[in-house]
Amino acid sequence: MSDERQQRLRQRLEALEEMPTIPVVLVPLLRYLEQPLDILDLQQVVDLISQDKSLAAQCLHMANSPLYGRWTPVDNIRNAVIALGMQRMRDIAVSCSVLTLMPRGRTSVDPIVFWEHSLGCALVCRQFAQKIGFPDPAKAYLAGLLHDIGVVAELCVVPQEFRVAFDLARSQGIPLHEAEATTLGLTHCDSGKIVAEKWHLTDDLVAVAGCHHDPHTAQMHRDLVALVSLSDLLCRMSGLGYGYAEECQVNFAEEPGFALLLEECPALRTFDWARFTFELEAYMEEVHHLVRLLYRVSQ
Amino acid sequence: MTTTAVSQRTPEAPRRPPSPQLVQIRDLVYQVAGIFQPDNKLRHLEDRCQKRMQALGVATLREYYDCLTVRPIRQAELVSLLNEITIGETFFFRNQPQLDALRNVVLTRIVEARKKMSLRHLRIWSAGCSTGEEPYTLSIMLMEELARRLQGWTFEIVATDLNEHSVAHAKAGVYGNYSTRNLTPQITQKYFSPVGENLQVNTQVKTHVSITRVNFLDDARMVFLKGFDVIMCCNVLIYFDVQSKRRVIQHFYNNLLAHGYLFLGHSESLYGVNDDFRLVHLPSATAYVKSEERLVTR
Repeated sequence: MSDERQQRLRQRLEALEEMPTIPVVLVPLLRYLEQPLDILDLQQVVDLISQDKSLAAQCLHMANSPLYGRWTPVDNIRNAVIALGMQRMRDIAVSCSVLTLMPRGRTSVDPIVFWEHSLGCALVCRQFAQKIGFPDPAKAYLAGLLHDIGVVAELCVVPQEFRVAFDLARSQGIPLHEAEATTLGLTHCDSGKIVAEKWHLTDDLVAVAGCHHDPHTAQMHRDLVALVSLSDLLCRMSGLGYGYAEECQVNFAEEPGFALLLEECPALRTFDWARFTFELEAYMEEVHHLVRLLYRVSQ
Repeated sequence: MTTTAVSQRTPEAPRRPPSPQLVQIRDLVYQVAGIFQPDNKLRHLEDRCQKRMQALGVATLREYYDCLTVRPIRQAELVSLLNEITIGETFFFRNQPQLDALRNVVLTRIVEARKKMSLRHLRIWSAGCSTGEEPYTLSIMLMEELARRLQGWTFEIVATDLNEHSVAHAKAGVYGNYSTRNLTPQITQKYFSPVGENLQVNTQVKTHVSITRVNFLDDARMVFLKGFDVIMCCNVLIYFDVQSKRRVIQHFYNNLLAHGYLFLGHSESLYGVNDDFRLVHLPSATAYVKSEERLVTR
């Protein structure tokens, strides 16, 4: 790809004209939930979520999924917040909001696949963080959810070019970022960094969006980037990837992210990767079910 | 108060959380036998436990957990439960993700590593082959690959089992509907012949497979099984105690060529049993590798 064409792609991504905006309710909700738990007003959270009917309906579906720890049904937002807690509701509200960013109508590649991967990765990140004693599992969830925001940008802004990259990745069974580098001259990490900065996401989320395929390049928050990098890879190797098999062999103990994360989480040294992988099987069914349900509601 | 009702309910069976006793049994089975039942399979595990509970006249899972841990019958009962968990798992092309990983990744790596060598022969051991579905599946898959990845190669499959009846069944190579339910019409037509209502594996498939009785705890036999690229050992080690399992795994390690692969059954793990093998992830499958360096010599 010529430098000139690559530059044009970058400019289109930076303009982000075709990119949907974050639902208006999300920013005040997130800002409100950043406060200490003991001063939060339950009714205010309920009111904020309920402002957006579509978001509220999706949140309820999600709140009723075993993936978020609920087994007895909740039928309104108030009960959902009481049953799940403020933090879990924040995870759910953000997840539903990210879904609304996906392009509508005919797209070059099925966006559901990417959303399944993002939601799956978020859940794996949180579970992985809890298992190895990572200090902030809630942040890990958010980072997992948003790590591929660059893919969403490419789907919206440069859909035809992205299609070529995706077809190459799928036909050769290679990682998507490698195919993007070949055909686009940039990867979803590059575009993810552009979007994350444009949206004024926090530094750690910018680092994750921009460096999750090469955690060593992160200037800061390397532990979080490494955690997402390993979780992302595990999802892709376990059938929660981009809808095709990457024909490769992975030893997690030799992945670049492993050594970085080990510095922060010594429990990783004796981590049972096999069991964690088997546990993912249960996630997959639920994630497929939930994403299809949410996508129907959002149409 | 502002409330929003669920706008769309899906018709599905009511879900319920797994009972703590069931999770305890799941974890015990994983710790002792190395086979894991993920949350979506807990219903299956519960059914299996209920069946055993009926046989023992036990009323609750808590009581059944005691049968598996503190009562004198615990060892025999664990074997009975494992039998229930793995029952009916022998059929052709059983674990497709594992077979795809073997074909698409492992074979490709072996062929690539041996490119510059004259010896182009692949040796696979189906260890605990039961009634023969696994080794014949491998034989069929590799015969298909002879025109693709394995052009110019030869291969052999050594199949062993402890049970004499299973060995005899495997040698006969005649199978009913249950075993053959995953076969495509093309594979059936190409590699099987009808015998009454059953299907018999053709001679061309059988010629690549040698079947014998081997006890994994017979050290004298085990040391002579050498030079394998791949060992498949599915749902066999789960029946061994930790000491015996370590001994068998050490044999497998020695039986493999440098960089050879050990495949276990679905959701089976060597965690806490062996540190020499390295766990690797393949697409929707896992395997254990003797070492990570490049394949060099046989």
